[in-house]
Amino acid sequence: MNDLELKLKGKVPGPDTGIEVRKSVCAICDPGTQCGLDLYVKDGVIIKVAGTKEAPHSHGTLCSKGAATRQYVYSPERVLTPLRRTGTRGSGQFEPISWDEALDEIAARLAEAKERFGPESVMFFSGYAKWARAYLMRFALDFGSPNYLTESSTCATAMIMAQQLTYGAPAAPDFKNTSCVVYWSHNPSATKSLNLVGIQKKLDEGVKVIVVDPRVTDLAQRADVFLQLRPGTDGALALAFGHVIVEEGLYDKDFVEKWTVGFNDYRALVAAMTPEKAAEICGVSAADIRAAARLYSTSKPACIHFSAAPVVHHTNGVQNYRAVFCLIGLTGNLDIAGGNRMNPPSLVHQPGGFPTREREFTGANRLVDMPERIGSARFPVWARLCNEAQACDIPRQIKTGDPYPLKALFALGLNHRMWPGSQSFIEQLCELDFIVDADPFLTDSAKYADIVLPSATSVERREIRCWPMGYVQFTQPAIEPVGEARSDVDILAALSAKLGLGDDLLEAGIEACVEWMLEPSGLTVAELNKHPEGMWVPGAKPPAERKYLAAGFRTPSGKVEFASGVLAEYDLCGYEALPEYREPAMSPVSRPDLAAEFPLVLNLGARLPMYQHTRTFRLPWTRSLSPDPHADINPSDAERSGVEDGSWIRVSTPAGSVLVRAHITGIVREGDVHLYHDWPQANANDLIDGDYLDPISGFPGYRSSLCRIEPADDQQEGAHHE
Amino acid sequence: MNNKALCFDSEKCVGCYACAVACMDQNDIDVVHDGLAYRHVTHIEIGGGSEVRVVHVSMACMHCETAECLDACPSGALKRDAASGAVIVRRELCIGCHACAMACPFGVPRFGHDGTMQKCDACYARTRFGCDPACVEICPTGALRFCDANEAAAQKQARFAASLAKAR
Repeated sequence: MNDLELKLKGKVPGPDTGIEVRKSVCAICDPGTQCGLDLYVKDGVIIKVAGTKEAPHSHGTLCSKGAATRQYVYSPERVLTPLRRTGTRGSGQFEPISWDEALDEIAARLAEAKERFGPESVMFFSGYAKWARAYLMRFALDFGSPNYLTESSTCATAMIMAQQLTYGAPAAPDFKNTSCVVYWSHNPSATKSLNLVGIQKKLDEGVKVIVVDPRVTDLAQRADVFLQLRPGTDGALALAFGHVIVEEGLYDKDFVEKWTVGFNDYRALVAAMTPEKAAEICGVSAADIRAAARLYSTSKPACIHFSAAPVVHHTNGVQNYRAVFCLIGLTGNLDIAGGNRMNPPSLVHQPGGFPTREREFTGANRLVDMPERIGSARFPVWARLCNEAQACDIPRQIKTGDPYPLKALFALGLNHRMWPGSQSFIEQLCELDFIVDADPFLTDSAKYADIVLPSATSVERREIRCWPMGYVQFTQPAIEPVGEARSDVDILAALSAKLGLGDDLLEAGIEACVEWMLEPSGLTVAELNKHPEGMWVPGAKPPAERKYLAAGFRTPSGKVEFASGVLAEYDLCGYEALPEYREPAMSPVSRPDLAAEFPLVLNLGARLPMYQHTRTFRLPWTRSLSPDPHADINPSDAERSGVEDGSWIRVSTPAGSVLVRAHITGIVREGDVHLYHDWPQANANDLIDGDYLDPISGFPGYRSSLCRIEPADDQQEGAHHE
Repeated sequence: MNNKALCFDSEKCVGCYACAVACMDQNDIDVVHDGLAYRHVTHIEIGGGSEVRVVHVSMACMHCETAECLDACPSGALKRDAASGAVIVRRELCIGCHACAMACPFGVPRFGHDGTMQKCDACYARTRFGCDPACVEICPTGALRFCDANEAAAQKQARFAASLAKAR
């Protein structure tokens, strides 16, 4: 081969090969990473991807999902034109129609529902990607519906609520400046693997590490103290931390005195939770609890690395995480360098070191004059702390029409398998008169829509993202849209015009909207357009320390609340103001009757590095790495059940059963089964009921219920489901 | 020949598979029809009970200095790239006899739907022009590197020495 042929084989960019590197962001997982994406484009087609070296958050690397971008963008399952359903719901039978026809029909049907049943009868839902949420919320409120909902009805919001209830707003771990970090449920080998770059560096520097996780993760193997707890017992463990810290006088007395309320009650609460008692509840050693509590409270500063969903995917989730977050106040590690720091978001839930008008753009203040949102009566604490409706209450309201009927759904990215009791969720959606889903792929959920719209992926559209170190990027499309795909924001703008909503700003398109939102930051679209690879924000500042000295905390008392003033108001609903520990609603302790038949603890939350919910199942590259659904089972449980490694087994709960392969591994506790979720043929989320929810947040108890396992009677039975 | 080689450090590998997929992307691998890949990640569980740990290994062709596959190949399909030292296969010359697979102690040679052998070529067409191999370029932890093998060994030794010092 001559040099040019070799370069073409190696996909080396340059004028001679005609391969150009264009910059974008990966939005397969979302948000908080958004790795910089280098797209090697030749003749308008992506031929290779790599990480963007100059991206300060991702350092030129990608994970296995982002590395498969090419199969994501060019998947044969992409929706190429708007589609109108011709068969029954779920049949997947559609006819292609033009954009004009689709938008006319959607506008007419939504207007009809509004006319007949009121604007609140129409739901506006966002799944993944999350980038267009502010636009969708604005659109929903323009339309007159308070029912803007997202997949965050089961992700992250409850974790944020636990922090709001405790100290007013989320406080992120300041990992860079810390001397001790508690990973209270975080597995960067599978999720956000880009964090590994920084973690590796800190580990080499000798930072102290405590890991709390039901499984022996890679991080756990490198921890100074590892607490392998029974799923759903985080609250008991955190209270025992509090017990040791208070009993041994290791708390920050000055901070507790000046900046907290309810300490005496909290002291009494933790006095009762001795490490020995917690050891019994959680299944860890009392000595390890003492060691961890001492290490966290005596290392200065120390931070707690929390995660979006694992700890709040229990029926006792919010209170469990509240018990954890109380430790940050107890030790005075709140809003200081190296501790947990408050840093308000700039755009798309992420801080970027600059102020914006994103919240004003959504028009959230218009909610006060609107009918109550879905889930408000059932989950009043949610409704008080969060601007969204609680989507876990959709099936109930469709069924009962209480407090008003729901008739239509407009969705950007719908995945029914992310809901508890997924099958009954989609069956309830079928009761609606009209469903629209905009998605890059013809997903199983999209097959239930009346109209499917083709959405562009991140590399085909413009979007703005920012990162906590003060970096911002307003991407340019790297390629022409696949088929007739359009950006979600373009879809909303066009539909707004068709509906005559009179929103000139939204209808002017994304650049005008971004310019409007960025106004307080001093950034301009013209400047951002000069840097499609992203740029450092001029004058971006890390958040000030101890902002509470001037402003207090955004809680009813203005202080850190061991006893929550908000929860106290809902005492009649049975919520305690203090973060008391309650067993998960289905555990061997709370339901010994059920445990007799279903003796194992079932956790539906484990993640694999190549999958992000359902998004990369359809890509042959990622799918080849783990082709079958499986469950992680401890060797002792496998032996007891007569289950062999790699064989097909049936995992059953009172709600249903699935067939998966057994993966026998010592990384899970004896007595626990960890099931990987979202598989079309073995949907883990059908193993709990739709009303198995935390009463405070409405979050499903995905990560602690009860099950049994048995070898699948017929090997063919398993194979049939492949 | 330069001294740079693909170096793997299992202590830094977390088994994220980014290398495996980056390799598929670089080499346009058709996993559906060929059912193969050039780079594989294996998870080895060691110990039991509270001492359990998992070691991850990312493996592809070793590009051995004394490559048994080269000697075994009867058709001249396998050759060593002079510039990089990589062992490469010219599929147009491969007769699909599997002699290389029998000779290779690491289980590297795989055969696609056309019957010819396929494997990692250490991205010699990239390293020739100063670009890293795709697997190295993407690795988030630095477990995979394209560097002087002796230098990599020296760094590993220094790290081990430091851990000994800490243990004291």
